[in-house]
Amino acid sequence: MHSLRFDGSFATWRQAARRALLQGLAPHQLQWLDEEAPPSLFDQPAEGAPEPSGRLRVSPELLDLLESAAQYRGDERWSLLYRVLWRFVQGERSAVLAGDPDGSELHRRLKAVRREAHHLHAFVRFQPCKIPDAPDFVAWFEPAHDILASASGHFAERLGKHSWLIATPRDGVYWDGQHLQHERRCPAQWQAWAQQPEDDGQALWRAYYGSTFNPARLNRTVMQQHLPLRFWKHLPEGPLIPQLMSEARAGAQRDGQALVLAGRKGKRIAQINEGDAARPPSASVSGSDAPDLPR
Amino acid sequence: MQLIEKLTILADAAKYDASCASSGAPKRSSKGKDGIGSTNGMGICHSYTPDGRCVALLKILLTNFCLYDCQYCINRRSSDVPRARFTPEEVVTLTLDFYKRNCISGLFLSSGIIRSADYTMEQLIRVAKLLRQEHQFRGYIHLKTIPDAAPELIAEAGLYADRLSVNIELPTETSLVRLAPEKNVGSIHQAMHSIHLGEREAKEERRAPRFAPAGQSTQMIVGADATDDSTILHNAQSLYHDYRLRRVYYSAFSPIPQSPKTVPFEAPPLLREHRLYQADFLMRGYGFSATELLAGPGNLALDIDPKLAWALANRAQFPVDLNRADESLIARVPGIGVLSARRLGALRRERRIRYEDLTRLRCVLEKAKPFIVTQDYRPPRAEHESVVLRQQLRDTPAQMALW
Repeated sequence: MHSLRFDGSFATWRQAARRALLQGLAPHQLQWLDEEAPPSLFDQPAEGAPEPSGRLRVSPELLDLLESAAQYRGDERWSLLYRVLWRFVQGERSAVLAGDPDGSELHRRLKAVRREAHHLHAFVRFQPCKIPDAPDFVAWFEPAHDILASASGHFAERLGKHSWLIATPRDGVYWDGQHLQHERRCPAQWQAWAQQPEDDGQALWRAYYGSTFNPARLNRTVMQQHLPLRFWKHLPEGPLIPQLMSEARAGAQRDGQALVLAGRKGKRIAQINEGDAARPPSASVSGSDAPDLPR
Repeated sequence: MQLIEKLTILADAAKYDASCASSGAPKRSSKGKDGIGSTNGMGICHSYTPDGRCVALLKILLTNFCLYDCQYCINRRSSDVPRARFTPEEVVTLTLDFYKRNCISGLFLSSGIIRSADYTMEQLIRVAKLLRQEHQFRGYIHLKTIPDAAPELIAEAGLYADRLSVNIELPTETSLVRLAPEKNVGSIHQAMHSIHLGEREAKEERRAPRFAPAGQSTQMIVGADATDDSTILHNAQSLYHDYRLRRVYYSAFSPIPQSPKTVPFEAPPLLREHRLYQADFLMRGYGFSATELLAGPGNLALDIDPKLAWALANRAQFPVDLNRADESLIARVPGIGVLSARRLGALRRERRIRYEDLTRLRCVLEKAKPFIVTQDYRPPRAEHESVVLRQQLRDTPAQMALW
C-alpha cells in the first residue's frame, strides 16, 4: 500500500495521480491522504522517488469532470477519482458513464456539486457593509462541498463594479471590483465582516416574503425539498418560515390573503362611468392612495 | 403610506399569478461595468415560501386599484381589500436593493387596470425603462401585458422586458364572459399575436430591435369554473402551437376573502394542478399530444401520473426493449425520464443494458418494471391486466396538505 499525502488541491492530486499511473499503481495499492487526513506512522514522503517517464493522454473533458467531482466532500473523495481515471486509461470507457458502478457514483457527486453551486447562487444573502476598508457587500455561507472558488465568479457578473466577499467556515472569496481572490483558509477579518448583525433593510424583504406566501396552499414537503433546513439559519426570512407555517396550519386563514392584511379595512371602487374614462390625467396622482379613479 | 406597507399589500395582490420563471434570457453580464445585474439563461430560485413555490423575482403589482370586476380576482373593484400604489421610483428602489442582496434575479411587474389599458401599460413600461436606462439594470424583467393596450406599447415593452405575458385567465370564452366581463378573448389573443410577431421579427431580421428574448407565457386558472382538463390541455396545446408560448401556467383557484358567489370557496385543487403540470411537461418535453393524454372529455386521473396512465392505456406498445427501442420511445416508459433515456442510449453503445443499470441511473423501477425488457430481465407479469397494474402502482392516496 502506497500512501500519498498531498495538500488537498486538485492540481497536486493531478500531479500525484499522473505519477502513480505511470508507475502502474493500481487503485487498490494507493491511499490518498489530503490535508484533512490525520498523519500516519507509515506516511511515505512523496518526493525523493525518481520522476517516472512516459506519456499519458487524458482528454480535457475527463479532466474537467474529475476536477468538478473533486469538489465533493465525502468518503473516498480522491480514490474514486483515481479508480475512474485508472479504468479509463486502461481502455474501459464506460467507467465515466452514469450506468457504470463507478461512473454512477461519479455522476452522483457531480450532481451534488452542481446542486451546491446552485445553492450558493440562490441562497447567499449579501448585506451592505458600512465598515471602512470592508467591501460594499458581505455574506456568510456554509456550503457542503468545496464549490466557493469555482462558483463565485457569478457574483462578479451580477454586482458590476461593487466589491464583495463571501466568508465560510473554511475558505473565502473577495472580489475587489476587478480580481477574485480565493483563500483556502478564510482570513479572520473577512469572517468578522461577514458576520455583522442584520441591517434594517432585511425587514422589507421579510415583509415581501410573508405577503407573497399563499397560506391556502401550505406545502411543507415541497418547500423543504427545495430549500433544505440547513440554509434557513442564514436567510433573513428563515425565522419567519415556521411562524408562517404554524399560522397557516392553525386555520386562521381559509383563503390566500396574508394574515397581516386579513380583516383590514379595505376600499371598494365605484363602477366606472362612460365620461370618466376619458378624463384627462391629473398631475398629482403619483403615489397617492387613490389615484386615477372616478369617485 | 410607508413603503413597507405598500409592499405588503401589493405583494399579496400579485401572488395569485403562478409564473416565477427567470430563465430564457440571453447572457448578460455587469462585470466591470456600471450598473448591476446579469442573466445566463438559467433561472435561479432564491427562496421558497412554505407553499412550496419558488421566489425568483420580485413579484408585485404597481397598483391594486382596478376598474375591472373579475370575479376570481382579489383585486376586483368590488373587493374590500386595502389598496395601494407604488411610484415607479419605489419599484426601482426595491428591485435594486433586493437584487444587490441576492434575494431576487429580477422583477415581475403587473398592475390593476387604472384609467385605461394604454395608461396602465405606459406605467409598467416606465418602470422597466427606468431600470434599464437610468440604472443600467441587466437582471431579468417580466412585464405583464395589458390585453387592450396599443400594439406600439407592446412593442416598446418588448424592448426592455425579457418576458411578456398576457393571461388567458380562464380556459373557455363562456367562462371569461361570465367571470371576467370586462375582458375579451379576442383582445387577449390579439395581444399574444402581437408579441409573437415581435419575437419573430427580432429573430428573423438582424437589425430589428430587441424583443422579449425570453418569449411569452400565460396563465390559466383551474377550478374557478367547471371546465375539464381535456379542454384545458387542448387549449394549452393550441397556445403553444399558435403563439409559440414558452409556458402555460396553471393556477389552482385559491379562495379569496369575501368570495363572490360566482366562484367556489373551496381549498385549491392542488393535486389536479399538479397533474396538469405533469401533462403539460409531457407535451413540451416528451412529444405527447393532448389527445394522447386525454382522448375524450374529462379530467386527468388523480391517482396515477399521466405518463403511467398513457402506458396503461397503450399496453400494445410495451414492453419496450431498452437495447433496441428508440430513445424517444424509451422516454415514454413510466419511471424513465428523457435524461435517463439519453444515458441509456450512451451506455448501450458501449455494452448491453442490464436491469442493474436502471438502478444506477436512479430510474423509478417500481413504475418501469412492467414495461421494459433488458438483457437479463423480462416482466413476469407482462400479461397482467392494466386494471391490476393500476391498483399496484397508484400513488399513495395521501392528499396534499389542505387545511
